[in-house]
Order: sequence, then structure tokens, then C-alpha cells
Amino acid sequence: MNTISTTPGRKTIGAIFVMASILVLAQCKKDDPDPPVSLVCDLRDVPYSPTAYAIKKPDNFPQIPIPADNPMTLEGVQLGRRLFYDPILSGDSTMSCSSCHLPAGSFTDNKAVSIGIDGIAGRRSAMSLLNIAYVNTRLFWDGRVKTLEEQALKPVEDPIEMHTSWETVIGRLKNHPDYPQWFRKAFGINSCQEITKELAAKAIAQFERILISSGTSRYDQFVRGEIDLEDNELRGKLMFFDEGAQVGLPDGQCFHCHGSITLTGNNFFNNGLDSVGSLADFIDKGLGAVTGNPSDNGKFRAPTLRNIALSAPYMHDGRLKTLEEVMVQYNDNGFGIINEDPFVQQIGFPVQGHYPGLTPLQTADIIAFLHTLTDTSFVNNPDFQNPFQ
Amino acid sequence: MKNYALLLLLFAAFSFSTCKDESDPVTAKDNFTLTFRATYDGEQLEKYKNYTFGDKVILFDKFNTFLSDITLVGASGEVKLADIEWVNFTPDLTPNDKSVEVSFKYSVPDGNYTGIKLGYGVKSDLNAKNPSDFPSDHPLYVESEYWSGWKSYIFTKVQGEVDLNGDNVTETNLFYHCGSDPVYQVATTNGAIAVAGTGALVVEFDLKKLFTFDGQLLDLTVTTNQTTSHDASNIALGQKVMSNFKNATVLK
Repeated sequence: MNTISTTPGRKTIGAIFVMASILVLAQCKKDDPDPPVSLVCDLRDVPYSPTAYAIKKPDNFPQIPIPADNPMTLEGVQLGRRLFYDPILSGDSTMSCSSCHLPAGSFTDNKAVSIGIDGIAGRRSAMSLLNIAYVNTRLFWDGRVKTLEEQALKPVEDPIEMHTSWETVIGRLKNHPDYPQWFRKAFGINSCQEITKELAAKAIAQFERILISSGTSRYDQFVRGEIDLEDNELRGKLMFFDEGAQVGLPDGQCFHCHGSITLTGNNFFNNGLDSVGSLADFIDKGLGAVTGNPSDNGKFRAPTLRNIALSAPYMHDGRLKTLEEVMVQYNDNGFGIINEDPFVQQIGFPVQGHYPGLTPLQTADIIAFLHTLTDTSFVNNPDFQNPFQ
Repeated sequence: MKNYALLLLLFAAFSFSTCKDESDPVTAKDNFTLTFRATYDGEQLEKYKNYTFGDKVILFDKFNTFLSDITLVGASGEVKLADIEWVNFTPDLTPNDKSVEVSFKYSVPDGNYTGIKLGYGVKSDLNAKNPSDFPSDHPLYVESEYWSGWKSYIFTKVQGEVDLNGDNVTETNLFYHCGSDPVYQVATTNGAIAVAGTGALVVEFDLKKLFTFDGQLLDLTVTTNQTTSHDASNIALGQKVMSNFKNATVLK
């Protein structure tokens, strides 16, 4: 009796289930390029109680600017760290942000130019992310974006970097067994459908903002009066900051572009790398390509020199392999291009109005000083490492 | 009953005082616009442009300055507008080489003011601090304008190149990076400034006048006139340039 009476009901339920499944699948297919793995989309049962995150920084470092629309939370940082290290963000799932920004290289890849998922070489070197939270001018070598949140959106869709679309990535994240709940914990979303590229970028930016110097480099210890520098390091420091005139040392002029405690003002300069006939002749126009102002051609953002010994090769295109090569470049005093920073042209003691650069010994002293900026505690900080290992 | 009456009276008094604050706009919020403009010989300054400088040609690529205790002065007293501002006429990321005008908004009571007092540079109590002491939206947060070696802000930065013989090739550079407490200067520039509900003032700093002393252009071919003034040997040059800001200031 029961069997007879229930048979039609099962068919009906089965039909409804099939139809509902088709409807759900069709809907998901429309929104998500990748086939759905998990359809548990309602996240309201997952607790949302974000914990405010205080970024650790040395006492003598400036306050870290935090955008009002992306407050720091522990959950946001944790999500950002996972996204940063997860190759899910690339077209063939082989490359993550960390592929070009490795902790050991002070969040560079130690390559002249980075290679994308298709094996295509980019035209510029990956910049260090050390103290990136302090950049209040523009990001990238050429200043083409204003914020870390905006920056984090770019590599995913760059055809010579991660070469995919955010639509694809968001589809993967929505259907991932864990990311929906991590987004919920970080941003309080109610449904996996609320995962967006903007939230992903916010999380990555939160993680990047915690990448602050440890304050344990030899230079930092010296600044705090805890240690003395070696004589050669001290001479290098005096020349670096143009403080050596009274002890017979020339100006290295370094600090004008790489000054203050973070050792960069994050401004843009033509630092005398290329000899060109006119400003239009710069092959890589840098800032000029962003502003459209020819006077900005050949200008690039001055990077921090903290951990510079760990982040070779150097310059925007990685053309210089060692710090010694960098010093040779600067000792040549530029080419006199009109928009070249004038300090590049005045390194060393003047001889009859000309600047011959630093002597080999003075150059070695500057390099010795640069090595005091190495911050191994930063690169080994467990909070910065790959969470999937 | 008495208690109720007292409470009612207190409430009324509180309400009245609250209303008075909101409905008595003696000083409308941010009703006064102060604009700073950079010029050379009266014309708007332009980066990398050739300017005649005596028998030489001069061009600039940077001009910025700190101003302390910006104050309107008048017969009835003074109104301080700001403790400190950083005025950068040549920022990165502009679409062309023209210097930018930098404007600030302040709340100023109605009145007829007779001039503006400016502290050229960073006053000593603020100069004793460094960028780490300020929030990121503060004018003194700017790391690129701080000399850690001399524990001083760069009060004024004027930078460029000089074509000594008019052959369209620049032979030398000029740097006026003035800083440290002894070079700080205060001066009042007179001019009629009326504020009636709203008001505005344009303050120009003319670089040609800044380098003109007693009617003579500073000889930029002299090495000691070209260098920065951050060490003790150049304090005199820093004082000379900073004190000349008064003569380079024009109210419009």
C-alpha cells in the first residue's frame, strides 16, 4: 500500500530535483566559467567576528596609512596571504603573486624581468614589496595605479603575467571548498555569490600592508644606538647621506632619492641610465607613458634600498646584476639629459667643475653600508611565508 | 514639581545653547581660500622651461616649500590659519610642465585684514620632530622632505639647471635645499584682504625675485652659490635665500 502510494511521489520529487539541479547548474554556469564544485553558497552560518589587526612596525617608522574602506583585520590578512600564495589566481593555476614576489628576495623574484605563465618575459623587474604600505604616491615602476587595492587587480589579467580573467578567478573562488567561508570571515559576506575581485584585492592589499621592516638590520640597530658600524660602513653611511664633508668625504647624493627611514621617498626620477637624443627616444617611457608628459619620460619610482643586497638585479629592467655595477653606473654621473635628476650628475668631489664619481674605496664603503640594510628577520618572518607549506 | 521645572529649564537652556552654536555662523566653515602660486618674473612657473637669468639661461625642475604659522593680520587682531602646510608646486604625475596652484580652505571670521604673516620653513618645535611623529595625512609626514642626517626638514627645495653661455646646453645644476632652525624666517606681507561671508587670497612666490639680492641676480656660477645649505658651512646661504622669500612674496 505504502509502496504503491509513494511511487508517484518519488517520481515527482525526482523530476523536481532534476529540474532544480538543471536550474541551479544553468544559473551557476552563467555566472561562473568553471564548473561548480561546491554549491554550499549560503554562508550565514559561518561566524563573522573580525579581529582588528595592528601592524607591527619599528617605533621609529612612520604611521602606516590605512584606507578607511579597507580596515585591517586578522581574517582579512589571513585571506590575503592565502590569495597571495595561491596559484588559483593564474590562468593555468601555476603562478601566484608570490611567484614574482618571494620572501627570500625581499619579495622580488631576483630576475631581471619576470616571466608569466606563458613563458613570456615582461619588460620590467618585480619590485620589492618591503614597506609597500608606505607608498603614498603611486605604485608600479611607472606609477600607473594609486592604491594597493588597485594594484592587486592588475597582474591577474595581464596577458604576460597571470593571463586569465577575474571572472574566471572569482568563479574558482566561489566554488572552492574553503574560500567562501574565508571571505565570509574577512568581509562578512552572506553568500559565495558576493565574492568579488574588489574583495580579493582588498584582502591581498591587507596582507601586503603587513610587510614592514623588522627594525633589526644593522643599520636600524645603529640608528637606535645599540651597535657601532664598522669604519667602512660608517664612511659609506656618511657619503650616502651627504654627511661626510667635515671628515673629508664626498657626497654620494644617494639619500636625495632614497632618504629618510624607509630609504625611499617613493618619488619618480630619471636616474641617468640611458643616453637618448631626445625625451621621445626613451624605449621605456616609464612615468611619461602614464602622465603623457614628455618631461616624465624615462622617470621611474625610486625603490626602497632596505634589503637591497637581497633583491638583485637592479633598476626597472634589471639591467644591473650587482651593487658594484649599480655604483659604476652612478659614478658615471649620468648623461646630462634635461630631465635627469641633477644629483645624479654631482657624485664625488668636483674637479674643475666636473664630478668624477666616487673612488673605488669610497664605492666599496657605500656598498658596505648598503649591506647594513639587510633585514633577514623580515624575509624569514613566519607571518609572511607561504601558508600552504 | 520644582524638580521637573528645573529639569525643563536646564533642558531648554541646553537646547538653546546648542541651537545658538549651530545657527550663529560668525565663521562659516572653510569659507576662505588661500592659494599659492609659483612664478618666474611674474609668469606662472613651468618646469624645464628656459628662463633668462641675466646673461644666462635657467630652468627649474623642483620647487616646494613648507610654511609655518600662516596667519592673517589686521587691525583687530590675528587669525591663525594653519600651524604648517607643505606647498609643492612641481609634484609628480601632472599632465604637463606647468607648476600647479596649491589651495587650502580655512575658516576665517568676517573682517578687513591687512596682510598675511608666513613662517618660511618649519618652525623649531615642529622641526624637532620627524615624519614618524605625524599621521599620514599631515604635511610633515612627507619622508622625501626630511633630512635624517641633520635632523631637519628641507624647508625649501628649489632645483634646476643653468645654461651658462646660452648654447642650449646646461652646464651646471642649482640646488637650494634650505633647512635647519637657523634659516627659518618670519615675515608679513601687506595687502587688503576682505572676508565677508567668503574670501580668497592668492600668494605668489616669484623665483626670480628669490634669487635677486639688492637688485642683483645671485651669481649662480659661483660654486658656493649652487650648493645645498644643509651643513654648517652653508647656513649663511640658507639664511640669505630664506630671508629673501619676503621679497619674493606677492599678494594678488
